[in-house]
Amino acid sequence: MNRKQRKKTAINLLIALAALAILVVELYPIGITFINGFRRDLVILSGRPFALSQLTLRSYELIFKNPGFLLGLRNSILVGLLATAVSVVVGSMASYAISRYRFRGRNALAYGFLVFRMLPQVSLVIALYLMFKAVHLRDTILGLTLSYASFNVPYVIWMLLPFFTAIDRSYEEAAMVDGCTPLMIFRIVFLPLAAPGLVVSAVFAFINSWNEFLYALILTGVNAKTAPIAINGLIGGDTLTWGQACAAGTIMLVPVFIFTVAMQRFLVRGISAGGVKG
Amino acid sequence: MRYSPKPATEGARTATRRRGARRLAAPLFFLAPSLLVVFAVLVFPILFSLFVSTFDWPLSAGGGDRRFIGMGNYVELSVSPEFWNSLKLQLGFIFIALPVELLFGYVAALLLNREFFGARVVRTLLLLPVFFLPIISGMTWRFMLQPRYGPLNALLLKLGAPEVTWLSDPTFAYLAVVAQDIWRMWPFMFMILYAGLTNIPNELLEAAQIDGAGFWRKQRSLIVPLMTPTILTALLLRIIDALRIFSEVYVMTEGGPGDATQLFSLFTNRVAFGYGKVGLASAMAIFLLALSILFATTLVRKNMSLDVLEEKAGGR
Repeated sequence: MNRKQRKKTAINLLIALAALAILVVELYPIGITFINGFRRDLVILSGRPFALSQLTLRSYELIFKNPGFLLGLRNSILVGLLATAVSVVVGSMASYAISRYRFRGRNALAYGFLVFRMLPQVSLVIALYLMFKAVHLRDTILGLTLSYASFNVPYVIWMLLPFFTAIDRSYEEAAMVDGCTPLMIFRIVFLPLAAPGLVVSAVFAFINSWNEFLYALILTGVNAKTAPIAINGLIGGDTLTWGQACAAGTIMLVPVFIFTVAMQRFLVRGISAGGVKG
Repeated sequence: MRYSPKPATEGARTATRRRGARRLAAPLFFLAPSLLVVFAVLVFPILFSLFVSTFDWPLSAGGGDRRFIGMGNYVELSVSPEFWNSLKLQLGFIFIALPVELLFGYVAALLLNREFFGARVVRTLLLLPVFFLPIISGMTWRFMLQPRYGPLNALLLKLGAPEVTWLSDPTFAYLAVVAQDIWRMWPFMFMILYAGLTNIPNELLEAAQIDGAGFWRKQRSLIVPLMTPTILTALLLRIIDALRIFSEVYVMTEGGPGDATQLFSLFTNRVAFGYGKVGLASAMAIFLLALSILFATTLVRKNMSLDVLEEKAGGR
């Protein structure tokens, strides 16, 4: 028995070591971004990727004085919050209708939303560009928010469905007996019960917008460009400013890091859109 | 407006139909905003792309320069070597990256499906690359592959090997783009497969153990068959995702050198906004759209279900 236990411990130790090795490889590219943000460009360009000499906050100072990045960061936050708000309001209403009412075309509609969620952005961006140009929505926060709603609304609908279907109907039935209208039932009774689901889908919608690049690249120019576009500008030029680019990248990664750790229970659901069989 | 909390029995469904429009009012009210959004930024752009794809439509020109050419753009695509090249690169990308990701993900899921010291932390941290901003991933890889000072070449030089100018060589640049995706996305496979593995009932595994089944035997006759639906779901999700890859590659190579990493989205983008041929690019957009819808409907039909959600909810 004792020997068996020792063997088990040994195996677990081996696996922990293997896991550590995998983690080192997987996290190295993230680590190098983080570290480069604190290294002088000269050290970065010296070809000693593991040297940790002369660490400095200079890149952060520069990036926080860089008007292009600051504007981008502001826009990223603004568009992220707006797109999240729109998609949670619109999406929760739709998700409520699908989970609580039986109507003709209900299935087709629900699966339609799911398919819409998976369409490639490049297939839509050309038409959106022409449309937005015609109605002067190009390079505006409103236009970019709308384009982000195109993937976030269907996304939120399906993120919310499992939360919504799990809520017991007796509360709503009681409210109905009390003579509440459907909208009152939805707002006063249902939404508070669904609060955890709303928070989770809001966070996912924000991260979707935060990480988006193609729409921002094509649909914005000067005024509404987001932080990823600003970072792309930093590494696209002739002068090599890896330090600043990595500092900016690290700033962008902070919400992503918090998200991954805080949302780990919901990550599988988040990437597989819920309702997966088996 | 009447509110109906009844479950979707056949009776309720016919009742809905009989009472007609009055019963439809409440769901329509809740659905209206989303239908509006979906029409404005999804349905209309798709129809508009279809329309534009039948025109010779220059990006910068006024309305007078547009010319209706019917299927002309689609015909032009079918004989364009650049189009076939980007399609070949795109499919190659999927056929190389996805099997490797599946293999890594599966092995890691088997390996990490047990409790050891720090297991939870490892499983969480592994997922960081999946949610890593695609453009930062592209940027980091571009940095790692730089000649002279990039970590990979610095390592090669230290080992006495000749350095490789990864991103200026067509073959290496393509492989680098594939490697970047493998690095980023195998934990995605891991995540879904791990969730699937933990759903296998313990009794089944114990029964196999008692029957004296070894590792391979257990894999072949028990775990792999049980995991097949999960594996298919994961693959379909990845195919749909890989079909629209853009940002990482755009930041890493911008499709170059030459057109060596000109994957489908990058080429479409270049045709539209580089060459200014909006009509031709719209035809490509429609082609990719059709392909994606094909895979997405397969996935939705086979692997996703409203009823499953409701059953799970009912069981709670």
